[in-house]
Amino acid sequence: MVGKKKRNHPDIEELLARPWCYYCERDFDDLKILISHQKAKHFKCERCGRRLNTAGGLSVHMNQVHKETLTSVDNSLPNRQGLEVEVFGTEGIPDDVRQAHDQRIIAAYYQAEAERRAATGNPAPGGSQGGQAKKPKFESPADLKKRLAEHKAKKAEQTTNGSSGGNTPMEGMVQSPMGQSPGAYNGSPYAPPQTTYGAPPAAGYGSFPQEHGSQPAAPYQQPYNPPYSGPPGPQYQTQYPPQQGPPQTAFPPGGYQPPQNFNAPPYATGSAPGSFSSPASSHTPPAYGGLPNRPPSLPPAPGLTQRPPFGAGLPAPPHQIHQNSPATYNSPGGWGGNGWNAQNQNSAMSSVPPSQGYGGSYSTNAAVNELVSGAAREADEIDEIIRRAEAGIITPKKTEAVQPPPSTTATTAEATPTPAPEATEVTEATEKKSKKDKPMKMVYSDNDVSPEEKMALMPRYAFVPEGKAETTPADATVPPAAVGTVDA
Amino acid sequence: MAPAIQFELSNPPNDAVSSVQFAPNSPTRLLVSSWDKHVYLYETHGEEAGGKLIEKYEHRAPVLDVCFGVDDNEAFSAGMDWQVKRINLETREQIVLGAHGAPVKSVVYSKEHSLLISASWDCTLHFHDLRNPDKEPIKIALPQKPHSLSITPTKLVVAMSARLLYIYELQNPLLAPDATNGSSGLKPWQQRESSLKFMTRAVACMPNDDGYATSSIEGRVAVEWFDPSPDSQARKYAFKCHRQPDPENEGTDIVYPVNALAFHPTFGTFASGGGDGIVALWDAVAKRRIRQYQKYPTSIASLAFSSDGKYLAVGACPGFENGQEEYSGEGATKVYIRELSETEAKGKGAK
Repeated sequence: MVGKKKRNHPDIEELLARPWCYYCERDFDDLKILISHQKAKHFKCERCGRRLNTAGGLSVHMNQVHKETLTSVDNSLPNRQGLEVEVFGTEGIPDDVRQAHDQRIIAAYYQAEAERRAATGNPAPGGSQGGQAKKPKFESPADLKKRLAEHKAKKAEQTTNGSSGGNTPMEGMVQSPMGQSPGAYNGSPYAPPQTTYGAPPAAGYGSFPQEHGSQPAAPYQQPYNPPYSGPPGPQYQTQYPPQQGPPQTAFPPGGYQPPQNFNAPPYATGSAPGSFSSPASSHTPPAYGGLPNRPPSLPPAPGLTQRPPFGAGLPAPPHQIHQNSPATYNSPGGWGGNGWNAQNQNSAMSSVPPSQGYGGSYSTNAAVNELVSGAAREADEIDEIIRRAEAGIITPKKTEAVQPPPSTTATTAEATPTPAPEATEVTEATEKKSKKDKPMKMVYSDNDVSPEEKMALMPRYAFVPEGKAETTPADATVPPAAVGTVDA
Repeated sequence: MAPAIQFELSNPPNDAVSSVQFAPNSPTRLLVSSWDKHVYLYETHGEEAGGKLIEKYEHRAPVLDVCFGVDDNEAFSAGMDWQVKRINLETREQIVLGAHGAPVKSVVYSKEHSLLISASWDCTLHFHDLRNPDKEPIKIALPQKPHSLSITPTKLVVAMSARLLYIYELQNPLLAPDATNGSSGLKPWQQRESSLKFMTRAVACMPNDDGYATSSIEGRVAVEWFDPSPDSQARKYAFKCHRQPDPENEGTDIVYPVNALAFHPTFGTFASGGGDGIVALWDAVAKRRIRQYQKYPTSIASLAFSSDGKYLAVGACPGFENGQEEYSGEGATKVYIRELSETEAKGKGAK
């Protein structure tokens, strides 16, 4: 420390050296504090308040003193409640758990580092990329939740309406400025990163231009389908939320322990052709008949829904896409309008160089990643929503590509100003509590009708009153109905 | 092995439990009302373990609530058949005291005033004067559907939909009982809005007549005081409980309804029972959790302390949850009796 300025962020070694609690994954400044934490939180007898040294000790104590059996360790994580592990301080932690913990620390560390770099614009030590984009402003969880709620409301409204219509494209456009710095995504800053991706995407794309003339659809799809099969996308997001495309390149591969995560970026970029090809397919349904089968390449969709950048990157509103208005594709810089025109006529994907489309869709991926960062859970929900949306929307146009409808509908959904009633409730709840409450899932959430009333409506419990029931016809029919009407 | 501090009653109801109630005198006499259209009377500490089912009282429809009357042989029941009945537990005689225009959700008995109060989804309260059983009950209209009733020697608390809560003073109907027959002009002493943001599930009054606790479908319990003075009102608080981290979504809680509340008759602490199958004891004054019992296999529907505070009856059956089309508590309904050690439910004192 001599003469060296202490940074406000610790070294990875320091982080890894911190003692942490096996039961709750909290870390502490020193071992003594950890031990007293464990005694107070995990090894304390509920009955007499005595603090034992280990879970086993507490178990024996409970058994002998209170004649009770201890089955789980208090205040512990769901998968760490067992008594079979004898932990004291950091001793006795199973190796696999320890390794998982270390990995998590490392991941978090690199992530934080990347964020710092993105925020400050400083290059990584030894890193070569020059003009890296600054990190866009990060949305607060509250805002995110609020938007999610609105979005969900829209979604709900839409599923009831049964179509993506009703929302003007303008709304989507208007909405876009509300997000943070859309420009950062679609603009030039992201064009360079493509090159850094070099190998993986190129491999994927490679086959594509070559075979374009003959069979555009099939070869195009194959390389991408496998990676897409569900898990990789979301998983990647949850684990490395805040990363965006460019910062990733800053990480030395070695820094990333879980290998599949490192593979993720290529997958994500894989979605580029997806979103890119799908509009095309909508123009030329027959040629791309196979496309809809593309597994739910959800990552782009959530990004689209939530992040206005998409609007800018792909301004074409949903119906326009379906209505074959190629002109709209001119706006995104990367998408050559001529390319689209050509496609419309000859249904050949080849006319559009992959890289161009890549630039556009890349922004969506970055958007996704960033979006997900704060709200992995939301992403899951959005996935779910989009899955549903897909199901709903695909039906009318079977031959069309899967991707554009959900994404665009989602975008417009969020844009519409009037939220459904359900949404207002959610927002209200989340807004009020977002400060200190976690997101929650209520087991029973009907705020107006009690469980008993619902049970009472079931034929199983229904009762048809005799005698006085004849007084009014309404009563005579079904008492449950009466139950409902009484509620005036 | 440790002696059994908890056991399961043999011959439990065949379907969901709506209420469990201990007798006012005997600490081992328990009434259980059930959706299987019966009221069950148990002697919880019979010769054989698991207690003894003394009698079953059949009703025409699911029974939504039950309470003891003046002694251990009198009970009142309320049910889906819109009726309020008096049951002589010895002779099995059932007398219909009155009828509502919809299922009757709750009944409470006031020993001090010889009153039986019933609350129905037809949005009325009926005050049955048990000294004049022939007289028509006094009917009071409520603004919303009642969900739960609780009584003290002087007050009645009615928890309703829309988070409304009315507190009645019990002298009133007795002081001016004859003035009105039929719809009474009895006004609530206090009209409050629940301090919880979601639907009220249960209300229970403190045995010392100072206040009450309410619980909501959103894993929360609030404790409030009757005294309207700002000082007392400032003491009210609410806390989260009956929640579990969602194993599938890190950072998310699964939130269960808090279905049951019961105050300990002597210590003034209270128990809460939730949809998570957990029963927890709380010290309302010190604002601390005293203990939490191991999870029961199903949701907790009802709780009751025995008159001497030595036993806690726990009615457990599957809880009705979101999106359920069908419901049946058949085979999964249990009643547990938990024996409390001397100081088990005693508050630790504020720290």
